[in-house]
Amino acid sequence: MRVDYTIERPIALQATFDVEGFTVLLGASGEGKSLLLRAIAGLVPAHGEPFGGMAAQHRAVGYLPQGYALFPHLNAWQNVAFALRGAQRREQALQLLERVHMAEFAEHYPAMLSGGQQQRVALARALARRPQLLLLDEPTSALDPVTRDDVIAELIAEVHDFGIPTLAVSHDPHLAAVADRLVLMHDRKIIQMGTPETVYAHPVSGAAARLLGYRNVHRGQVIGTLEAPRVVWPDSGMSFPIGRQAIPGSDVDWTIAPEAIRVVDAQEASADDLPASVEVRHVNGCRTLLGLRCGQARLWIDVSGHASVPESLAVHLPPEAIRCWKRNP
Amino acid sequence: MTDDRPHARLPAVISALTLILLAAPFIGLVLATHWRAFGFAEGDGGAIAVSLVYSLLALLLIIALGTPLAWWLARYPIHGKWLIDALLLLALLTPPLALGLLLASMYGPYGPAGGLLERAGLVLTNSAPAFVMAQFYSALPYYVIAARAAFESVPRELEQIALTLGHSPWRSFLRVSLPLARLGLAAAVALAWVRALGEFGAVLIVAYYPQGIPVKLWVNLQNTGLSAVYPLLWIFFLVAMPLPLILGLAARRRRLF
Repeated sequence: MRVDYTIERPIALQATFDVEGFTVLLGASGEGKSLLLRAIAGLVPAHGEPFGGMAAQHRAVGYLPQGYALFPHLNAWQNVAFALRGAQRREQALQLLERVHMAEFAEHYPAMLSGGQQQRVALARALARRPQLLLLDEPTSALDPVTRDDVIAELIAEVHDFGIPTLAVSHDPHLAAVADRLVLMHDRKIIQMGTPETVYAHPVSGAAARLLGYRNVHRGQVIGTLEAPRVVWPDSGMSFPIGRQAIPGSDVDWTIAPEAIRVVDAQEASADDLPASVEVRHVNGCRTLLGLRCGQARLWIDVSGHASVPESLAVHLPPEAIRCWKRNP
Repeated sequence: MTDDRPHARLPAVISALTLILLAAPFIGLVLATHWRAFGFAEGDGGAIAVSLVYSLLALLLIIALGTPLAWWLARYPIHGKWLIDALLLLALLTPPLALGLLLASMYGPYGPAGGLLERAGLVLTNSAPAFVMAQFYSALPYYVIAARAAFESVPRELEQIALTLGHSPWRSFLRVSLPLARLGLAAAVALAWVRALGEFGAVLIVAYYPQGIPVKLWVNLQNTGLSAVYPLLWIFFLVAMPLPLILGLAARRRRLF
């Protein structure tokens, strides 16, 4: 389903993209992502397709706002039955709760349910509307971090099961990673879309890389010659050589993967290596990251598998591992 | 825990003292009533009927007209809202006797509206409509202010969700806004009821007749003395209490909607 919306107030925003399967619109806070969802649901003035010009109650959308907005005065099945009419509404509501594995909580009030359970009831309620499009606003924000991945896996399985195109807006790269299709928004414009694999492999800009959760995305200026370009990293007050992709004189965003950075002993470091000090240690399963302080900046390196790091250390950034994008003026 | 106890005791002591102060006049009433000679003055029965029936009418009018206004004030951005706030405050501030005089000067036989209405057959002096009007004016601002706060406490998002689930704004109001505002609305209705039923000053000026309980209490005091006031006062409490009491209980038990 193609979404093409223009919003003028309270902020100006234009977005055109396709929603297929579970599509995640990834953007930083304040980009107007929630506003876009509310516009599609008919809750703020806007024009565009689908549903352009229709009153909110006539749009076939299932909208799940942040925090899910279950009716506190109704229990789970009554919440689901809210969109249903007729004598069979209780049975239909219970069937929908069954499909999202919440039948046993039918008599529970929202205050008695966890974040993930509330989300599933809200999903069942939105599905009761028989929507052509599901809209999820920051579906991971109200979830317990420990169970979040499981709840999201469940949510995506259910969305696929129901076969309704779903647009989730989020700033959470974890959610983006499990999407069928990914759309990136920056400066209130769509900057990239595609499958998560292609978008993750080739972010179009430093801003895209930051949205995707890349560590070590920094600003710099290219100096030197075409044959031997270097990047000045103002935040660290240092410079180092990069590959021949960069044009001297340009402002760039550059990045390097934490696992591509090599640790060297400060005493054996060359002039191009950057002196650094360990600021934080980040252990996640079998992966260990170190947050290093380089001047005013922080650089993350992956030291998994290293027995130890030298007491006084420097880092070597292999020029071929550095990727850079020209910054728009 | 032990450290908390002296602090917890102080509010309890102050609360008990406040309650005793609040109860003192009624304890006085119990002591002052001549229980052996408990009897009613002539016309007390009629006053009770007048108060109950017309207060109920005034209450229905207040709910019918005040609820849309409270909703509108709570939900829509209005230019110059402060003017409406000032008007509500003005209506609240006006001393009841002065309110009666203002009503008489507007709706009385020589008032600009009164003359017109009288020609149309609606007499707003010493008549049942005048009685209801005086109660309406004195209780309406209390209702609007309380009902507005009740509606403002309902998260707007829930009303919008009801729209996205296919309900019209009217059904969304009935099925979401009203039930969620029910505690505050019940309090607003109870407040309007006690204000209307107890109104004396405004009613005295524009509707000395038909006599409701508050005016009759004054008449009894003038004609007979305190012994004729207390029995009617007991009945007043007896008939005025049930509605706010039941409203409060029912709203808390989710039975209202």
